Amino acid sequence: MRFFARRITFYLITLWAAISLNFAIPKMMPGDPKQLFMEKLMRKGIEITPGMQKSIDLLFGEDDSSLWDQYVSYLNNIFHGNLGVSTTFFPKPVTELIAAALPWTLGLMGIATIISFVLGIAGGAWVGWKRGTWVDHVIPASTLLQALPYFWLALILISTFAVTLQWFPVIGGYDIFSYDYGPEWSWSFVGSVIYHGTLPAMTIIISSVGGWLLGMRNMMVATLSEDYITTAEAKGLRPMRIARTYATRNAALPSIAGFGISLGFVVAGSVVMEEVFSYPGLGKLLFDAVRENDYALMQGVFLVITVAVLAANFIMDMIYGFIDPRTRHNA
Amino acid sequence: MIRSVARKRLLTAVALVTGVTMFAAGCSSSGDPKDDGGSGEARVLNVWAGTQTPVVANFNPYAPNPLHAANGAIYEPLFYYNKAKAGAPEPRLGEEFTWAEDGLSLTVTIREGVTWTDGKPFTVEDVVFSYSNDAAKSPFLESAEKVDDKTVKLTFNSPQFTGEVQFLGTTLMVPEHIWKDVADKATWANEAPVGTGPFTFDAVTDASYTVVANEDYWDGAPKVKKVRYLGVDENQSAENLLTTGKIDWAAMFVPDPERITGPGRLSMINTPQDPTVLYTCSTASQGCTGPQTDIAVRQALDLLVDRTEINEKAFAGQAAPASPTFALLGRDDRWISPDVEAESPQTADPAAAAKVLEGAGYTKGADGIYEKAGQKVELTLITVAGWTDYNTVGDLVASAAGDAGIKVTHEQVTQQEMSDMRVAGSFQLMVGGITGPSLDDPFQIYRQWLSTDYTQAVGTALESGDFNFARYSNPVLDAAVAEAAATNDEDAKKAAYATIQTEIARDLPYIPIVVNASQTFMDTKDFAGWPTEDNLYAFPPSWSTVSLGVVLSKLEPAAS
Repeated sequence: MRFFARRITFYLITLWAAISLNFAIPKMMPGDPKQLFMEKLMRKGIEITPGMQKSIDLLFGEDDSSLWDQYVSYLNNIFHGNLGVSTTFFPKPVTELIAAALPWTLGLMGIATIISFVLGIAGGAWVGWKRGTWVDHVIPASTLLQALPYFWLALILISTFAVTLQWFPVIGGYDIFSYDYGPEWSWSFVGSVIYHGTLPAMTIIISSVGGWLLGMRNMMVATLSEDYITTAEAKGLRPMRIARTYATRNAALPSIAGFGISLGFVVAGSVVMEEVFSYPGLGKLLFDAVRENDYALMQGVFLVITVAVLAANFIMDMIYGFIDPRTRHNA
Repeated sequence: MIRSVARKRLLTAVALVTGVTMFAAGCSSSGDPKDDGGSGEARVLNVWAGTQTPVVANFNPYAPNPLHAANGAIYEPLFYYNKAKAGAPEPRLGEEFTWAEDGLSLTVTIREGVTWTDGKPFTVEDVVFSYSNDAAKSPFLESAEKVDDKTVKLTFNSPQFTGEVQFLGTTLMVPEHIWKDVADKATWANEAPVGTGPFTFDAVTDASYTVVANEDYWDGAPKVKKVRYLGVDENQSAENLLTTGKIDWAAMFVPDPERITGPGRLSMINTPQDPTVLYTCSTASQGCTGPQTDIAVRQALDLLVDRTEINEKAFAGQAAPASPTFALLGRDDRWISPDVEAESPQTADPAAAAKVLEGAGYTKGADGIYEKAGQKVELTLITVAGWTDYNTVGDLVASAAGDAGIKVTHEQVTQQEMSDMRVAGSFQLMVGGITGPSLDDPFQIYRQWLSTDYTQAVGTALESGDFNFARYSNPVLDAAVAEAAATNDEDAKKAAYATIQTEIARDLPYIPIVVNASQTFMDTKDFAGWPTEDNLYAFPPSWSTVSLGVVLSKLEPAAS
């Protein structure tokens, strides 16, 4: 019990620190969002009429109260679920933007990460089991794939499969040409989502499976030299049973800890991938917010990412404590 | 035993879920319809105007970033000024207008029989409201009054001949009966807009928005029945959508347009508008420092740059020749003074540059760099890192100048830094653009980019609306600008422009480089009625306010 209580307290303190940093850091960034915004308009050749000038002034209204007052009202707003209004996507409130983007990121990144984890674990276990044979050559191949930049891989996949072969769509989370009234709950929409999510998911899976594979293979090789494996073989258990029930489960422990961490970062989305595919996720929001110096949106997205990472870590901590009794007893 | 049973059940469950989702995916991908869903459905026009995702429903013409369809497809002005070619403005919601001799008032006749999309009639009261409401009111406007049911009179506090395009061409008409109750006109999202334009609002999602034809449009219902504006984040994605046949109208820079127009569905039209120039901090009395404050150095630079090479290497040959008068060659020929060279020199002439410098007292030092009174001619040239076309221009200018004895150091900075520098005047040379005027008359540039009223001393930030980044201050030019502003007589204006052009062609506060390309790709196979080189009835890009409404109203599905 004390183990859980200590962990929970620790996470709460971390959460508070993260929220405070989240408030402080954007305030320290250089750059004037109002100037940037007017630059953008001028570059497009748009004339700034007096009415527009008024609305721009309103948008970027100056806040003259002291830093402490701003901090207190910021905390207050967070607990009431008010994250402000975005200047890039004026006049949409930040909570709405994030709520719309979150399911897409969680869905795509979550599923892709889980698939790449499962493939990595299964593949690593197989390569580790078959150590010393030709299967070892899979490792350098998969780490090569891992070394490829996300961005480049995404562009290659689009160029080959979407533009030249036209097997997959170019952009979007769903078929924007058929669903003019927005997402709807129908089987064809679900199908459209899966169809549009395939290429982005492939980008993520291809470029991250190598890491899991390598880690798992190494742990597998180490586990297979343990005494209890020798005992199991001596007892006459089937090889597949040894591989699945004894070797893999023990070898996977460090990977599961790593998986927890990467699950937290799923929420950040893959910024570049979402930009390239125009995928409506959180990573894209973050990218736009940073580019346009949109403080409210930036803080909102950072907050969500921080909370998600902490929550995922917390859950993984608990699960780890459950699946590996050794951590509990020494705590 | 239990374990393997559980595992069997798990495997069955996973297989079932996978099977169902595959089935659903199969079902839908065969039904991934093109926009002509059935044989009876009309073809939807798919447009990209530069909107990014998520698309935010904002059709408020007074907001700084409304969706493009609001400006022209849904709301219209009184007249349309076509900046693609010279000509008189086209009547839209207004039929005729007359200026008073002194430019202090303007009388406009309004078109009758127009209705708003909610059924109510369009009246003079709406026009009066559209000029005098607090979000739209111009500081130059004294009042807008109804004269009778067909006429409105605008009164100004100073001669406003040069403001004609702002008042008649870009002020959009909004319905009084809806807007009078809006408390905060600049921030209201106006999600279900009511306008007089050829199209009305249909739907908005995070990824796109659609407008449908207004069957009661005063100029006849548009033949294209539905237009879909997409949200696309990257230019590359938009290019891919063009080549795979998903977008029918988009405007963006593509260095090799033949790749896109080759297959035959798309055509491209290039209508260059905005000059790209070297800003120079030009006037020592305004606080500028550096060798570029000497006219001779600027003239030498003007002769040293090889504009043909720059066009090929930085702009893929798509840009048009620039003029030191900043009049658009072709469209604005009548405004160009015969005493000035119409076109900037297209090839480098180092010998002439050397003559200019030596005539002004510069001598080449031992290191090959010109100097005068102990000061070497060393300059810094700023461009924004990542703006590759400008970066290339910077490199080419620096190397051409270096070869001829002027040391130019090309520095790349962030966009924020560039913006700070030009607003404060703390730069020597900078590659930048000049916003072209909204009609076939270069006056806007002369006033906003060159006159003393629109600048500040170095160190004081320019206010918004002031574009004289070069800190140019010339009383002869200021007087000529004031003269041209006070008259509507074309000959008087030409005389004033001639004075202005002589000054700026000699002083070169902005050294012209090229006129930036403006490429528009259009689906000429499935749709007809696009603007063409021979019939440039509107400015073609899909993002261009007011023009887009004109183009949309004239398009029709091609007979197949």
